[in-house]
Formats: sequence, structure tokens, C-alpha cells
Amino acid sequence: MDKSAKSSPSQPEPSIPNVIYRWDLDKTYLRTDFDTFMSLLKTAFEDAGDKRTVPGAATLLRELRQSGGGRARICFISGSPRQMRKVLTEKLRLDGIEFDEFVLKPNLRNMLTGRFRALREQVGYKLPALLAGRAGVTAETREVCFGDDAESDALIYSLYGDLLAGRIERSLLEQILRSAGTYEDDAARTVSIFESLPHSEAVERIFIHLDRKSPPGKFDRYGGRLVPIYNYFQAALVLFQDGRLEAAAVVRVAVEMVDRHAYSVEALRNSLQDLLRRRRVSLETVNSLGRTIADGAGERDMLPALGSLPGTRDLLRSLARGLRDLGPMSEQELGPRPIDTPIDYLAALADLPRRHKQK
Amino acid sequence: MSGQVIERQPITIVVDAMGGDQAPEEVVKAACALSLEQPVGEKSNPVKSSGDKPSTEKSTRERSDGSEPLHLLLVGDAPRLHELLMKQRYDAERLAIHHASQVITMDESPREALLQKPDSSIAVAARLCAEGRASALVSAGNTGAAVLSCLQYWRRLPGIRRCALAAVYPTEVRRGEKDDPFSLILDVGATLDVTADDLVSFAVMGSAYASRISKNPRPKVALLSNGAEAGKGPKEVVVAHARLKELRGIQFIGNVEGVDIPRGVADVVVCSGFVGNVVLKMLEGVSETVVRLAHYAYKEKLMWRAGLAMLSGGIGKLKDLTDWKQYGGAPLLGFDHLLIKAHGRSQAQAIQNAIKVAKKGVSSGLLPDIERGLREAGNLTVPSGEQT
Repeated sequence: MDKSAKSSPSQPEPSIPNVIYRWDLDKTYLRTDFDTFMSLLKTAFEDAGDKRTVPGAATLLRELRQSGGGRARICFISGSPRQMRKVLTEKLRLDGIEFDEFVLKPNLRNMLTGRFRALREQVGYKLPALLAGRAGVTAETREVCFGDDAESDALIYSLYGDLLAGRIERSLLEQILRSAGTYEDDAARTVSIFESLPHSEAVERIFIHLDRKSPPGKFDRYGGRLVPIYNYFQAALVLFQDGRLEAAAVVRVAVEMVDRHAYSVEALRNSLQDLLRRRRVSLETVNSLGRTIADGAGERDMLPALGSLPGTRDLLRSLARGLRDLGPMSEQELGPRPIDTPIDYLAALADLPRRHKQK
Repeated sequence: MSGQVIERQPITIVVDAMGGDQAPEEVVKAACALSLEQPVGEKSNPVKSSGDKPSTEKSTRERSDGSEPLHLLLVGDAPRLHELLMKQRYDAERLAIHHASQVITMDESPREALLQKPDSSIAVAARLCAEGRASALVSAGNTGAAVLSCLQYWRRLPGIRRCALAAVYPTEVRRGEKDDPFSLILDVGATLDVTADDLVSFAVMGSAYASRISKNPRPKVALLSNGAEAGKGPKEVVVAHARLKELRGIQFIGNVEGVDIPRGVADVVVCSGFVGNVVLKMLEGVSETVVRLAHYAYKEKLMWRAGLAMLSGGIGKLKDLTDWKQYGGAPLLGFDHLLIKAHGRSQAQAIQNAIKVAKKGVSSGLLPDIERGLREAGNLTVPSGEQT
């Protein structure tokens, strides 16, 4: 595993974190296109300044870093090759993102040692990396994971959460790793780390960025802990409901999306309604956010932090109006609540696109 | 915080999700597919590096002609629509649902159904437009109920006494920037009895529609009659002819006969709703008969079958040309909002096309153009009467 800690020398050595935010990079933080060979080549050779950030992701990350009384840890885990470390860390520096851990895939080593299956396979790479990341934290340290719908992030993060919670037996884990096509040594290492960790309900939330606009219903099998999201305003809303972000932070994410990515208030309102319909945020949460923003005190408190530009003030008011205009929505107009049942990981693996499974 | 906040205004189209033989499944499919389409000119290239520096790069949603983001507001049984959405690829940023608890079916009497079902999807959709939540309405449901809902909630444009439902039909002639083979005929059923004033206002509206939607800058407008001479036809046609001849702003070419309709002599054919409806159904009937004859010939003789097989490419193109699914729906003109009435049998593709036409009508400024035309026509304002 290749890790580098402490992006900024000025940052104090973090004490034991109370929450870890784990982020995938491509298609989660970065708008990466590697669906064709040409786009893959372009991605590999582009400069840090040319890389594009998913709207709202940079602000959300900065807000998460600030939250939790300075005890929040930001960890990146990406399937990109280690050779891209320099350009990727430079990109994060340009975006003003501080991080604590940066894990990249040893693709060159995999190629040189003839482990070609490992180039594509993600479970045998990400799962042990995630488990290893629990070293040095307490059982009370909570985790929020961010991935996307391009590969197997939903499965890996859910499995990680269930392993930490002690809901998966060793024999089932071994079966899952075999099914995923994990090399034997990676599988053995995964099992070994898993057995060394204490059980705790550490993973409290998983966000899957619907980069490919996969049908949200596809993720129902993973239960209410996992929230498919279309954008980071939606993630911010859920984190506000979870008590991880303040209302002002949600607004700052929205402002970034409107200001820098030309989102309309209507698009944000539709995003919010989508979450409501899917019962991923409650009507009470929306009302509470709307009240906070709409109240004079809310505006007074938030505007200085937002820069007090006339446009920002208008946005704030439009957003508050938009939240109010959502109504009247009653309980019976909403979709069903997510159901938490034990996840059938072998079936989930079988349903993944072929390239992510054992050939 | 970086620079000035610029809010991009999308165009919102409200869709009667419960209207039509295939609703709501096909309507939801159409809406999902459209929500994923990027408008022409829209870039999929947001800022390179965010941080705290102002971005000078153009945004994903920057507006240009016709490139405004399309937002869709689906009206209908919210839990059912939500259930369908969950199985589809769609963009939640561009799609919302508004609950309506009732549905008016295709075979219900429009007037009675609207009285009994005030929370029907079509009535709620028309109301949302009137409240400013959307700019245009698309429905594949009961035509009478759609027209009456618009009448109930929308205002007629100044100078309009009666509204007109227009339909396009394929002709031999290509016209406009896009080599469009379609001509427009109106009215096709909204107003059965018309006055000369009505026919003049239909001509103005049809001309504006052809110019904006077909991109035909000077559409040829004609009155449908039983002879080319100015004095031919019923009184209202004769009077309308005299008035249209004097009207600047539209290119009036006089009267045309039935035989001129498929030839494409005029780009816009103006007639009463009764006549237009008969003409439209006849055109559809002829098209269907030709296809049935081809099927018959295919089964009858091996030689004919071989001949048809050799012509299959051309026949396919001809079929596409005459296929109502290709051109969306019929606009209802004369109100302060636009209704596109899609065929009751519409599947996703036809509904998508109807929504695209609605968006084009809004983004091209069709209604302001009609208002301008009506002002130029002058002195057309008559007291509001009952709509047929």
C-alpha cells in the first residue's frame, strides 16, 4: 500500500479522528472520462489544472474538513495508478483540499508481476486498503464513504461496513473474495486484517455519485445507509440531516454549484425533491433548512461567510423560496422507505458488469 | 467566494404523465430520456479547478439560442411515477413530480369529467402553467379535457376570440432552413364554427408557428376552400380572404383546394375545426391504407414481394415521413401558454418529440411573435365568447 500523509505542513498532526471521510477520486471527486481508450489516454496525460472537479465536491470536502471540531480526517482511495500521485495531489492542492491519506493502486507492479486481473479488479485492492485504514483509530471513529456508480464502490463500501460491524463471517468473506477474482495473497491479507479489527458500526453513511445516471433503484439492495446521489448538494443535505454539516455549509455547497457551475435554483430544488421522494431526507429536515435560510438571522449569519455579494443574497432568498415552494408534499406522495435487509453480496457480485468479476 | 452569481433559467415543461393510452409508463420513459439529453450548445465541461479562485471558463449550463436546460414537471400519481422513475436512468436535477390524485380517461366526456375530477392530472398541469411553474404543457390524454383545462386556467391572447388546434402533415415540398416536409393545418378540431375574424387570427398564429418551429421565415398561408377564386366558399371564408389580402406581415397566397394540401402548395392551411378535423383524419386514413395495400401486395405475389423488398429502403423513409410519431403533437394556439397535444397512442419517442416541440415553441418566442402578429392584424379584438 502506498500512503502519504499530511498534505500541508502547517496542519497540526491530527489526533485520533472522530470521523473519517473516505473518497474515491475518479467520477466521484473528479469528472473523469475513461470509457474509451482515447479518453483514458487523455486522462493519464492531462495536467492538474486541466482536471475537472465534480460540481460542489471541492466545497463539500472543505466543509467536511472544517467540521467535527478539527477531528475529521479526509482519506482518498483511488484506482488510479501510483504514477499519477503528483498530478492528483497537485489538483487537490489547487482546489484547496487538505487530506490525511492518499491511497493509489500499484498498477505498474501488477503489470510487471503478471497480475493482470488485478488491474481491473477492485474488491481485492480497495477492501484491504480500507480495512488497513482502520489501524490507529478507535472503534468509535465513524466513517462516511463516497464512491460512484461506475465500478463496484457500492458493494465494496457496504461490505466494508458490514465487516466492521461483524455481520459477515470469515467463510462468507472468503467466498466473496473468491467470487470477485481476488488473488489468493490479497484475499489472505484481507481476511487477516479483518480478523484483527474490533467490531463496530463504523460506517454510518455511503454516498454513491450517479455519474452514469444508473437507476437509483439498482442500489435498493444496499439499504438505507447507502444513498445514491446526483450531485453534492444532495450529499450535503443528507449530511445536514445526519448532523455532520451546518445549514451554512449546505448553502455554501449550493452557492459553489450555482456560482461556478451555473446550476439553477430549480435544479437544486428538483434535487431536493428527488431526495424527499426517495425518503433520504425528511420533510422536517427540509423545513428546518428552509427556516434557517429564510429567517433574518439565517441570512445575517450566513451572508458574511458567503461573501455578501448581491448575487449570493438573491440566491439565498431564491433557495429559501424554492424550499418553501416544494410543498405541500404529504407522506403518501412519497416513495417507499428504504428497507434494511442483509445484503446478498454474492448475488450483488454476480450482477456487476463482467469486467469487475472473476473471468 | 468568487464572482457574481448568475442564475441560469431553465425552460420547464409540465407533462400530463397520466394522459394517453400508454401512460404513465411511456410518458415517464420519455421524460427520463429527455432529462439526460444535453441541450444544443450546452457544454459538459465545468470548471477545471475550483478552489477559491474565480473561474473564467464558461459553465456547463451557459445559455445560448435553444440551449436552455430543459426541466420537466411530471403531473400525476406521485407514488406510481416515483416507482417508475426508480427503474430508469434519469437526471433528477431536471425532473420533478407534482401529485395529482385523479385521471381523466380517453373515453370520458371532457366537460363532466373536469367537473367531477378537479384534481385530474390534466387540470392540475394546466393550473401549474397558469401559476408560472412551467411555460408549456404536453399531454397525450383526452383532447377535449386538455383544451377545456387550458380554457379554464389560461388566458387567451389579446385579439383571440377562439383558439385553434394545429397539426402538421407531410407534403411533397420541402421548406424552411431544415428542409421540413411538413405543412401546418389549423384548426383541426378546437373550434367547429368559425367567423372571418377567427380565420384571420388562425392565419396569423399558423404563420408565426411555421416561422418559429419550422424555421420558415416567410411561410405561405392559404385558406382552404372549394375553389381558388376569392369569391369561392362560405361567407366567413370570403370575408377572411379579403382581410388577409390586406394584411401585411404574413404571406397570404389566397385559397387552396383539397388537392393542394398534400402537394404542399401552402405551408399553412387555414380552415374551421370541423373541416380541418375531417381533412386530417382523411390524410391519416390514406397513409394507413397505403401501408395495408403494401402488406397485401407483399403476401400476394413473389414478384411483388421482390419488388417491395428492393424498394424497402425508400418505403421505410416514406413511412418515417408520414409517421405521426416523428413530429410530436398538435399545438393549441391562442392562449398565453402553449399546449402540445400528443397523439393518444403516443409512445416514448412521440412524447419526447412533443416535448421538444413545446420547448422549441417557448425558446423561440412563439407566443410573443403571435401577439405581435395579432397587433399588426389590428382591430381583431372581440369580446371573449364561449370556446367550442
